[in-house]
Amino acid sequence: MTWEALAGQTLSGISVGMVLFLIAAGLSIIFGTLKVLNLAHGSLYMTGSFLCYGLTSLLSQIPGAYWWALLFAPILVAVLGGIIEIFLLRRIYDQEMLYQYILTFALILILGDACKFLFGVGYQTVAAPWPVNGKVFLWGLSFPVYNLFLIGCGLAVFLGLIVLMRYTALGRNVRAVTYNREMANALGINVPKVYTGVFMLGSYLAGLAGTLMPPMSVVALGSDMAVIIECFIIVVIGGLGSLPGAFLGAIILGLLNAFGIYIIPKLAVAFAFMLMIVVLIIRPWGLLGKPE
Amino acid sequence: MTKNFATKVFSIGFWLIVSAIFLLTLPLFLQASWVSLINEMLIMALAGTALNLMLGYGGMVSFGPAGLYAVGAYTTAILLTRYGLPFPLAVLAAPLAAAAVGLIVGWFCVRRSAVYFALLTLAFAQIIWTVIFEWYDFTGGDNGIVSIPIPELLYSITHVYYFSLAVVTVCLFLLWKIVHSPFGTTLQAIRENPMRAEFIAVHVRRYQLAVFVLSSFFLGVAGSLFCVFAGSVFPDYAHWVKSTDMLVVCLLGGIYHFAGPIVGSGVYILISKIISKNTTYWMFFLGIIVVILVLYMRNGLVGFAAEKLAQMKNRSEVKKNKDVP
Amino acid sequence: MIFETQKLTKSFGGLTAVDEVSLGIQKGELVSIIGPNGAGKTTLFNLLTGHLLPDNGKVIFQGRDVTRLPPYAISRMGIGRSFQRLNIFPRLTTFENVQVAVFSAQRKCHRLFSRAQNMAQEETETILESVGLLDKKKLKGGLLAHGDQKRLEIGIALAVHPSLLLLDEPTQGMSPRETGQTTELIQKLVKQRGLTLIFVEHDMSVVFGISDHIKVMHQGRMIFSGKPEEVKNNDEVQRIYLGEKKP
Repeated sequence: MTWEALAGQTLSGISVGMVLFLIAAGLSIIFGTLKVLNLAHGSLYMTGSFLCYGLTSLLSQIPGAYWWALLFAPILVAVLGGIIEIFLLRRIYDQEMLYQYILTFALILILGDACKFLFGVGYQTVAAPWPVNGKVFLWGLSFPVYNLFLIGCGLAVFLGLIVLMRYTALGRNVRAVTYNREMANALGINVPKVYTGVFMLGSYLAGLAGTLMPPMSVVALGSDMAVIIECFIIVVIGGLGSLPGAFLGAIILGLLNAFGIYIIPKLAVAFAFMLMIVVLIIRPWGLLGKPE
Repeated sequence: MTKNFATKVFSIGFWLIVSAIFLLTLPLFLQASWVSLINEMLIMALAGTALNLMLGYGGMVSFGPAGLYAVGAYTTAILLTRYGLPFPLAVLAAPLAAAAVGLIVGWFCVRRSAVYFALLTLAFAQIIWTVIFEWYDFTGGDNGIVSIPIPELLYSITHVYYFSLAVVTVCLFLLWKIVHSPFGTTLQAIRENPMRAEFIAVHVRRYQLAVFVLSSFFLGVAGSLFCVFAGSVFPDYAHWVKSTDMLVVCLLGGIYHFAGPIVGSGVYILISKIISKNTTYWMFFLGIIVVILVLYMRNGLVGFAAEKLAQMKNRSEVKKNKDVP
Repeated sequence: MIFETQKLTKSFGGLTAVDEVSLGIQKGELVSIIGPNGAGKTTLFNLLTGHLLPDNGKVIFQGRDVTRLPPYAISRMGIGRSFQRLNIFPRLTTFENVQVAVFSAQRKCHRLFSRAQNMAQEETETILESVGLLDKKKLKGGLLAHGDQKRLEIGIALAVHPSLLLLDEPTQGMSPRETGQTTELIQKLVKQRGLTLIFVEHDMSVVFGISDHIKVMHQGRMIFSGKPEEVKNNDEVQRIYLGEKKP
């Protein structure tokens, strides 16, 4: 492996990791507050990526079509998330966990076929938009600008979420609900509204990831399951409910995938699974999670 | 009370005899395609009941039963095709292999709380699927393994049917015994309240692992039966869509009744054959069915029927017997 | 000394919920722990039964250090417990609720192929009778009245043959009549079975009515321990606790 390849793989590993972080962060935030494991989170991501493709081809006459897609596709996914929370999830919070799992699982089927119906079964691509297309030369090595752009987005969202959770009134309400639902209710916080808001935020992040990913990958059916499994691995490694844990886990997973492909192309995913198993043995609550 | 109980037993016994006669004689008057459809239902009934041992009785939501089912199917297929083992051995090895894999997977899955359990079962099933899909030399990859040397005796669908019927009956009987044993009661106590169970000196995790292994064992039997029936195996057997089938079978029939997955299997396979014939968007409708079940019919068909029956039998008793909300 | 703790400590974040609590309990004693809400009583119970791990200190039962044993192992050694929030198996029948605990005590839980229905019937019914629920044995636990569920919990705890029983607010939410019945029941059980009993309780008539010893907790500390009349006459206890309720 040359230095150039090494640096290239590292960069692409981290940038894919950033996209995975967005999805895992959404999964983790939703779980932290609503105590719902959204199995359909990968489907929200996939919906976002199809919307990105749909909007860019619809607006292809307008300059900067991709940026319009980046603005609107995640919002559409957030709205979809809001609908799911209000009309489906809300009705089963007081039921056993079992039904939440199965309901979100059913959404995988529904959203998967909806994407198939609306966008077809083919592989679609979206070109990296100006000005983040092309390459940049650093220390005599060339890097795709888009990868750097993704890393920037990931970091910005990470910091933004931390600020949002720790320093804003909104974040304070969310933390209050997360800590004790009854107490928050008694303090006059509108708990259902917080639930809807958090689910929409998580969905927005999944949609954002779905919109950011296509220029460096493809839009295709099946990415829902691939992504949700990777998110599970991330939250097991990092600790479910921990934002920094999701960040760390996502970067580790991105790098493992990028280099795993060099070693055993077909079974790259095996490295991630092995890491997950090791973490489960030595630190079952995750690298940055808390023991129960 | 006693009289009520007696009539109940009578009716259950009555229905058992009727369905036994039907199942034993049906190849005489049904077309081969129907026999093979019912054969599929039988196998799915076993897989569903095996899953439901965890799901309904243990309260453990597994999204990866298909992985263990596939281990069973591939064990029989590979032992017959690659190693030329005698047929009975190849079939017997399937549940043992599935139970062994279940022991390893289960050990990891029960280490954490319920959420992680759900997530890990899905992840491990995907590992099994990936291994089957990518390990071309051993499993045949996406081509699967075809023309598996099944004994000549089992070439006819009627014979396969009777073979499945015998194995499924024995397995369902064993599962029924397990559910009604002290182990079964303990399992339900864990489902109801794991913390309380821990404090009547029950080592909860160990029991959860035990039920994971038992469930895997019977899933392995089901997988092996399907391998014998189809004469071929494919990575699809381990796919999460197959796990969905099994979950829906349990949910449709009702997870808090032993007969739930059995009834669920019959109805589900019938519906899926009808709907999937007419649309390519079968998964969409399946998803809608599941959503409706979760929102409006959580106790499934058997639960629904049992409730109605109880209402009809004795209106004054209804209040007492209704499930706790 | 059947049971003791040495400097047991547990903090959550900045709050020390249990602060160097040392207590010793003799066999056959009936000991109550009182204190205002948030004094750390339930946390103390959770430390004693392995549901929480202490930051510091030891729990010793019958001469053995049980501090870091998991709940099922502690339970196996002969410590039974009821919980403050209702803690039964709601969808099992009253009979099965107790029966499963009897299975566990007889180490029959792992039996896969015997018929559970009529096993351990006699012992289960004896226990149900002693907590006064025999006539409701076929009802689902979750459908019993609140007081009956509380008694069922005691029944479940008894079924594992504890030598030490911890009860967390056994009369909470009960009517005065039910409280009286339950108090009698507790006294009777302690005598019949030679139990040692520790209980947390807010109802002072129960506490002063049946305790041999009373221990007072305040802000995580064990501030006083003595016979009921000593507690009544202690100024500090009067001030921080009883003063709130009684003139």
